Amino acid sequence: MSDLAETTKRGRSVPGQPDMWAFVLFETLVFTAYFGFYLFSRARSPELFLHAQAQLDLRIGVVNTLVLLLSSWSVARCVQSARAGAYGPALRDAFLTALFAVVFLGVKMFEWARLSHEGNGFDSNDFFTYYFFLTGIHFVHLLIGFVVLGVLVYQLRGPKMRDQKLVETCATYWHTVDFLWVLIFALLYVVR
Amino acid sequence: MKFNKRLLVVWVILASLTLAYLWIDHTANGSLRSRALITSSVIVIALVKVRIIFREFMEVRQAPVLLCRLTDAWVVLIGAVLLSCYFIGVAIR
Amino acid sequence: MSEVITPAASPAAPPSGPLHQRIAWHWRHNPKRELWLAWWALVVFYSLFWLMFFVITRVQPPPRPTADLAAQVHFFHVRHLGIPVGFAVIFCIGGMIATNNALIAYSMRRMSVSPAFAYSYLIMYSLSAIPGLLLLCIALIVGTLRPERDPEAISWLYDFAFLSFDGTMGVFLIGSLIWMLAILLDKNRVFPKWFGYLNLCNGLTEVVVAPCWIFRRGVLAWNGQIAWWLDMVVFGVYTGAFIYMLRSMILREDFGTGPLPELKPDLERKPKAGRSNAEAAA
Repeated sequence: MSDLAETTKRGRSVPGQPDMWAFVLFETLVFTAYFGFYLFSRARSPELFLHAQAQLDLRIGVVNTLVLLLSSWSVARCVQSARAGAYGPALRDAFLTALFAVVFLGVKMFEWARLSHEGNGFDSNDFFTYYFFLTGIHFVHLLIGFVVLGVLVYQLRGPKMRDQKLVETCATYWHTVDFLWVLIFALLYVVR
Repeated sequence: MKFNKRLLVVWVILASLTLAYLWIDHTANGSLRSRALITSSVIVIALVKVRIIFREFMEVRQAPVLLCRLTDAWVVLIGAVLLSCYFIGVAIR
Repeated sequence: MSEVITPAASPAAPPSGPLHQRIAWHWRHNPKRELWLAWWALVVFYSLFWLMFFVITRVQPPPRPTADLAAQVHFFHVRHLGIPVGFAVIFCIGGMIATNNALIAYSMRRMSVSPAFAYSYLIMYSLSAIPGLLLLCIALIVGTLRPERDPEAISWLYDFAFLSFDGTMGVFLIGSLIWMLAILLDKNRVFPKWFGYLNLCNGLTEVVVAPCWIFRRGVLAWNGQIAWWLDMVVFGVYTGAFIYMLRSMILREDFGTGPLPELKPDLERKPKAGRSNAEAAA
């Protein structure tokens, strides 16, 4: 089906529940406030933040970002497959998303363990307070994401379920977790 | 399916922007200096990625115009807040 | 799902006349009077709560955890009257916490989900008033009683009060999640889904306050920009939202067991709104 035909056929409808979008936008504002405080603190004590930041391994951050972007790709593909009625491939993509998420979690915990072991803990200095706080609260969102993926899989499995709106809603949440990480990664790992 | 290819292309673009950070890091390295230019461009690149995620992955491109406007406004808002917090912090150092 | 009060086809129209007559009629005949009483108690409670904590006792916004002994003693000294008076009021209205929680639990009983949601919420929030409110009040009042007390002891009360208030968010977190889950699973459309997600936002900000046990300065201290200020903004939005949503629920309530009807313009307004009853009767 061509792009244009798809849009015309579906009309322009909100992807998923508008309620989830309200949540996404609100939560983004809250995170933006967190980021604002971080950047403000950072700008006030650049040396401290720079030296602490040098303890981070940028490559691990890049790997994590790529993995999470892949998970967004797979869940987006899942939504499109579900919409076309191809629930088999959709289900496979949902599991793939979960797999990417597990990889992300594993790498994250490995990174945290390594940093703590080197003596950079939650209360070591301001930078690491922000680091563990932001990655920690993101981690919580990711864990909630697993519940959301569970709902998604449950929808795709049962022939009586398969509410496309709910599938899109779950995907919307997942993408939020992804783009929040994109911002966190840029601010914690790359910003100088 | 045409859609799948589009999604893959989108991912490749996002991945390239992510890898671009490695290049930025490489050029900035050696000197542990904080530079407003690097910070600003890193933030802007991140926001570009966020907008791409909104429009392509989250299907805002095919959503009602209100949602398109709203998400664009959000990207601008985030940018404004982040950059102003940073530069205000620099100013009152 | 309460089927105790089932109004006849449609209640007799309230009389149009002087205010006191209309109020008397509603007091005697309005099947929702308990719900409205509970809702108004909720509004009164939160108004007094903010007034007492922010204006009379001035214990919120919270003082610095980094204050030295002299500063802490001074904190109690300047509030030696405000604290006992303000918290005396809080103790008097403390019983309203029960009716607040009951109203929220009622909303869950009206939903299509198991009653377990309502009961667990009720139990959790009843208990949570102790660390979440009363301990702070008691500790601070004790602190103001004897100004000549050893400063170390006063400092202990100071820390105990604010840590118990801000650091025990766990019960509120779980309560928010229970309500969120009930709303999302509900088929009776008692609340819109966005309100369920707002419960999640509120729950997550409770998590964010937890680090105040570790940090005495900075954004995550008990008076920090993230742990207190930002948290208050989200909490304020949440409180305003649930007060509004509960009102909306009461207006729509039909005492049935099925989906709650949508709000119609001719639905009976609450008695003290001062609106013309010709509207309601139409």
